[in-house]
Order: sequence, then structure tokens, then C-alpha cells
Amino acid sequence: MLRVTVGGDAGRGAALRALAGAVWRVLPWRALAAAGGAGAAMAAGTRLPGQQPDALIGLLVLRLAALAGGLGLAFLFDDPARHTTETVPVRRPVRAGLRLALVAPLAAGWWAAVLFLVPAAARPPAGAVTLEAAAIGAGAVALAAASVRLRSEPGPGAGAALALLALAVAALLLPSRWDLLAPPGDPDWGQAHRRWAALLCWAAVLCAACLPQPLRRRRPALRTRRPPDPDAPAPLHGT
Amino acid sequence: MTVTVSASGLTLRYGGTVALDDVALRLEEGITGLLGPNGAGKTTLLRVLATAVPADRGAFTVLGHDPGTAAGRLAVRRTLGYLPQNPGFHPDFTAFAFVDYVAILKELTDRAARHREVRRVLAEVDLADVRGRRIKRLSGGMRQRVALAAALVGDPRFLVLDEPTAGLDPEQRMRFRELITRTGEGRTVLLSTHQTEDVAMLCHRVIVMAGGHVRFEGTPAELTARAAGRVWSSAERDPGARAGWRTGAGAFRNVGDPPEGADLLEPTLEDGYLLTLDDTGAQAVTR
Repeated sequence: MLRVTVGGDAGRGAALRALAGAVWRVLPWRALAAAGGAGAAMAAGTRLPGQQPDALIGLLVLRLAALAGGLGLAFLFDDPARHTTETVPVRRPVRAGLRLALVAPLAAGWWAAVLFLVPAAARPPAGAVTLEAAAIGAGAVALAAASVRLRSEPGPGAGAALALLALAVAALLLPSRWDLLAPPGDPDWGQAHRRWAALLCWAAVLCAACLPQPLRRRRPALRTRRPPDPDAPAPLHGT
Repeated sequence: MTVTVSASGLTLRYGGTVALDDVALRLEEGITGLLGPNGAGKTTLLRVLATAVPADRGAFTVLGHDPGTAAGRLAVRRTLGYLPQNPGFHPDFTAFAFVDYVAILKELTDRAARHREVRRVLAEVDLADVRGRRIKRLSGGMRQRVALAAALVGDPRFLVLDEPTAGLDPEQRMRFRELITRTGEGRTVLLSTHQTEDVAMLCHRVIVMAGGHVRFEGTPAELTARAAGRVWSSAERDPGARAGWRTGAGAFRNVGDPPEGADLLEPTLEDGYLLTLDDTGAQAVTR
């Protein structure tokens, strides 16, 4: 087996650069650009001549922009070459982590731009609304990771995006004691953002749980039909 | 010959379906064909051996590495080339860029050496002239060769090919057979196929699977020999035959237990395969 690697830290750096370049090229740019463009356009709409958005409109626009961004992130792990690259030595969690690492700064920059596109007078508290956006983004990525884990098709992003939309609709229907969409100044505003923080944590845990490969299968307790062969190779352990 | 792959007791269930049931096999250098009807467990076996999915039970080694451990699995993947049943591509990539991408994922990190290797495998599959063409502009046969090039990059010693000739026209299949023959030299190749002709022309060993079990393991000649004295010709369809079909010459070719005095014919690998399935009760031969 031919393997061309360069030893030492420089070698590892070169390997990481090559890998990052390869992963960069296969990111789902169309979905990300469409979602980012839609979100930015919504925010830019508040600056159109004649528009004087109030704080409630500003909040609504930012929440919709965050949802649009989340829909783009739902496609993050789509990979048309999934089956072809299923058994390469560079493991899926590494590749998925690189996708996240490459997209996260772009998403952060995009969100900052969206935030500042909304006029200051209509802008809700930036920290709180950024927490909401982070939870939506993390939720989208977690749904994408779960889709990859549970389904074998190379492009499970559409399913993840639909699931995110369904969750967004469900959030509208939540009873007031679990309300996530409180407006600024509402007595539930602080409590709602503690829920957003909890959602962010849950999304991160779900994402981490769904990234390993190959799929861990539930091992049914099968009865041994013959005595074990002492010369046989060691049994398969967890993966 | 050196045993490259050794497996015993491989069992895997999907819900209530047993995809692999206590499968044991040994693979040596050269091309081994894997035959079986749909749902026989061929793809599942290939996916287990390629470390794409773990078995519920059982064990196997590839070139002495045990994929049951993380280090062993990594070692197996470093020796492995895998062509899945439905290979996927980034359609906007050129053939060169796609194989280069796979080469990076196979840890070929030195750019100059990697590009040499990518050019080598593209030449090996006769795609050197179209290496700059986008994959979406390539024919089905060419895409299949891109997938083979991706499997070959890094010079793997164990090559797993899942129905590589499916969907190819006869000329493309001939070219692909030529390629597989070439790439099989000095390697262990496990080739899953529905085409008994592929096995007859390419393979030095053959495994027949059905219902998640290995029903036969041996040489193509041994599989063919199973049908010796069990293939005969008749003017009309023989109702006692397990299978019979009219040939281009007009006579019926019957497979099964011939009547006395039957006009026996030289058996083919396909006859041996059909009778193996029928004898083991794995699948009744279509009448």
C-alpha cells in the first residue's frame, strides 16, 4: 500500500492543510449561499427606504434570518461521494469536524453582518438573539448529523431541513410555560433564553453522539451455535 | 498462496432479517468472484469486510489486521480499496480532482507524490485523456472507471468490488473485465457480480451465497463440475427438468436430473451455479 506522508509537525500540518482544502471543496456551497443570502436579504429589507421597523419587527426578522441560516446548515453533511469514501482511513468524525470548523467562522461573520444590517433602534439585545441563532444553528447541525447516522443516502440534508422547519412550527405552538419566542421586555424573556441555552447544549450533545462511524449497531444477543474456535481471530468489538 | 482475508462466524441481522448467517471464508491473492441472487447477502458481506459496517458476531482479519479495534480498522482501511455498488461523486469535480480528493482522504498528503499517484491510477483505468473533464460530463462506464481509480489510489492490497460491471454495455463490460484482470495482479480482489460470465472469465475462486449463507466455495471449474451429467438437450421442454430454456439453435437446454439416454451437454458455470442454489434449497430455479 502506497502512503505518501511527511513526518513530524510539519507533516501533520501539511496533512491537515491538504485535508482542510479537500473538505472545503466539497462543502454544500449552494445551500449555504442560498440560505445565507436569504437571511441577509431579510435583514437588509429593514433598511429599505420608507421602512421604520420597531423592536418587534427587528426581532422577527433576526429570528427568521437565523432560521434561514439553520436551513442552510442542515445540508452541512450532505456528501454525494459518501458511499465512495465510506471506508477511507480519514474517519468521518474528523471530516465532519473539519466541515464544522470551516463553516463556523463564516457563519459567525454572516450572523454579525445580519445583526448589524438591522437598524440599531430595531435591534433586540444582541447577546440574547445570538444565543437563539446559535441554538438554531446547532440544532440544524445536530439534525444533519442524526440524518447521516440514521439514513444511508448521500444527501440527507433535505430531511434535516424539514425537521428543523417542523420544530420551528412546533415552537410557535408551545404552551407559555415552555415559551421560547418571548419578546424583549416580556417577563419570560430571561427564562426563555435559559431554555435556548439548554437547547444549544442538547444540540451539541446530539451532534457529538451522532458523528462516530461506522454506525454502532445494537447487538442482539445471539446464541452461539457452535463452540468458539480457539484459532479464530479475536471477535469484533465496539466500533 | 498467502491467505489475505480470513473470516469466521460472521453474522449480521437487519431487524428480523438475517443478512449474514455464520459466514466463514478465506481469500487468497487473485480474483475471487462472489455470486448469488438478490438478497443473498453479497453486498452486506462486502460492506462488513470493507469495514463499512460491523458484524453483530464473528471475526475476520485482513492481512493480519483485526478490524475489531480502532487501530486494526485503520490498518485494514490503509490496505483497502472499495468500489461500492452505487458509487457517488461530486459531479462538478473533474476526474482528476475527484480521485485527488479520495487520495487525500487515503492519507496521501504530499502534493507532488499524490498527483503522480492520481495520474498513475487514471492511466491504469484508461482515463488519462479525460482526466480534466467534469464527472457529470462522463459516460456511465467512464464514471465507473473513475470509481475504480478512486478504489485503486494508494495501491491497496485488498480490493473489494461490488457489482462493478452492473449497468455497463457489453463493450464497456469487456473493457472493465480487462481492467479488473490487470488490477488483480498481485492483489486480493473480491468481486461481487450477478454475471456468471464475469466469474468464468476473471476469477480463480468463486463463492456462491444465498440466504446469508455460503453455499459453495471453490474454483470455477469445480462449480461447473457440479453440473456434469446434469445438463441435456431435448427437442421439447423436459417436464422433469429443474430449468429449461430454448436455445438459439431451437433445441431445449435442460438442467436437473436427466432421464436415461438423455443427450448430455457440456455444463457451464451458470449451470453449476443454478444447480448449487437449487440443491441447497436456497432458491428454486425458475422454470
